[in-house]
Amino acid sequence: MSAAAPVAATAQPLLQAQGLHKNFGGVKAVADIFFDVPAGTIFAVIGPNGAGKSTLLNLISGIYRPDAGSLSFQGNDLSRMPAHRRVRLGIARTFQKIRLFKQLSVLENVIAGFHVHHSVPAWQYVVHGAVFAEDQQRCREQAAKLLDFVGMSARLHVQAGSLSYGEQRMLELARALATKPQLLLIDEPAAGLNAAEVDGLLDRIRSLRSGGTTVILVEHNMDLVMNVADRIMVMDYGRRLFEGVPEEVQKNPAVISAYLGGELS
Amino acid sequence: MSDPAIAQHLPGQHAKLRSRWLAYALAVAVIIVLPLIFNDTYWRTNLTVCAINVLLAIGLDFILGYAGQLNLGHSAFYGLGAYVSTLLIVKLGIPFWIAFIAGVTFAGIAGTFLSVFAVRLRGHYLAIASLGFAVIVHQILLNWISLTQGPLGIYGIAPPPAIVIGGVVIADFHNLAAFFYLVAGFAFLSYILLSQLVRSPIGETLTAIREDEVSAASLGINGAAWKVFAFGVGSAVAGAAGCFYASFVGTLVPDAFFVSEAFNILAMVIVGGMGTLIGPVFGAILLTVLPEVLRGFGDLRLVVYGAALTFVVLFMPGGLAQAARVIAEKFGVRNST
Repeated sequence: MSAAAPVAATAQPLLQAQGLHKNFGGVKAVADIFFDVPAGTIFAVIGPNGAGKSTLLNLISGIYRPDAGSLSFQGNDLSRMPAHRRVRLGIARTFQKIRLFKQLSVLENVIAGFHVHHSVPAWQYVVHGAVFAEDQQRCREQAAKLLDFVGMSARLHVQAGSLSYGEQRMLELARALATKPQLLLIDEPAAGLNAAEVDGLLDRIRSLRSGGTTVILVEHNMDLVMNVADRIMVMDYGRRLFEGVPEEVQKNPAVISAYLGGELS
Repeated sequence: MSDPAIAQHLPGQHAKLRSRWLAYALAVAVIIVLPLIFNDTYWRTNLTVCAINVLLAIGLDFILGYAGQLNLGHSAFYGLGAYVSTLLIVKLGIPFWIAFIAGVTFAGIAGTFLSVFAVRLRGHYLAIASLGFAVIVHQILLNWISLTQGPLGIYGIAPPPAIVIGGVVIADFHNLAAFFYLVAGFAFLSYILLSQLVRSPIGETLTAIREDEVSAASLGINGAAWKVFAFGVGSAVAGAAGCFYASFVGTLVPDAFFVSEAFNILAMVIVGGMGTLIGPVFGAILLTVLPEVLRGFGDLRLVVYGAALTFVVLFMPGGLAQAARVIAEKFGVRNST
């Protein structure tokens, strides 16, 4: 990274939320949420089930529109932007309940992730010419690299639906990375993974950060978050309970009583 | 190239390319030979109907099998292609091939128009909307008598003009074999066009939308726009089938494009295997030929036909394409999908 980049990053957060609200009927899923996510950090959102974490992520990725408040990404107002446009700005995500294209192979899933990065003249989609071949070759190579990164090089031609749960999580990560995100939203990545798989996942998230990717991690596995996050926001009943570095969160009495309780710590 | 995963992947690509060219050469050979084997009027007529149905089936498969849009109104685009081209020829004396292009374009625009409004609908809602569209188109064809002559129909539609080069007649389309070559050749080119599209990243894009639209949007795919694209392409292909149908049969009545025709086309796609292009080709051929072969059963014909359809859906949900894959795997042939 050049010297100029960190200066720019401190001047303006990569993602900024101001007074976000989202209601479902009478339920305030997200209420008055403010936060800044500086570039190149891992920002974790934790909270008990139903605290509004996933709703918040869906607001950032564009599945939901906020009822009030604003979201800005590098100075672009996101609140009215459809989900697919946000990807072009550099926002990608994974899903809590895995949403792979089950009928496609592992490789094809990742290639679908290159959608916004094809630069082929339209007619070459019909008459597959030199530019097309180059583009295909480049996609395959990058897909193979990404699948290597998540440890799935040996599984390129397996149908995504027949992968193990842990592999599906990793494939979803590789597919999201194919969009070349600046901001990666990861929703409950540890759900259903064993300890070794969680460790493998943490290593990947850390190496993404060192590669310059900003990560927002929604998770209720406390240990995982404490190990990896730079800052943590704690949510409860849709509201922000606390925000700070991991050590502060662990010590905060409000967090302990609302979230950790007695037996969970 | 140093990456073992890529190195492993590439030879497969070349082998696939080679076997594809072989398959295309074989298809051309089959198209050439067919009317020579079936040289009576009855079977040559059926051959051309097969080729028209292949066009309809691959067009619907692009919409349904790839983009996952349950379109129950394919008969409407078929009918629009037929009527627009025929009316231009009959009423305005426009040359066949210009009318053909107009018919194809009009059907494509109609598909685009319908899908722009229908893309927000999913599954059975889209099915009902497209079905409604087909009913409306049929009713318009039936009742706009000053234009279409309604149920009386339009008679004496000429075949396309003969192809003459340097005073030598290359192809006279009063000849059934020549007509078959024309439609089958066009169907073959359409097949290649669609197959090029689905083997490009557009294939993954459409399949992604079919499998999970939310997930596709998270990869930057504009689901609505691509569904409109699939609808436009698929309905234009159906329009071409309509143009050929009118000039082949020589008579145009609205009931040829009744909603039941949409279900026939749907059956071809399902029996052949949705989401593969080759499956619906064979589905179309089978479901065109089967009722003819079953004529010996007299009134039982439709019962046998229905039973055969039910059998396929119950025991081969992936259609003929799946059956072929299963058989190929049993005999140890490498799976090419």
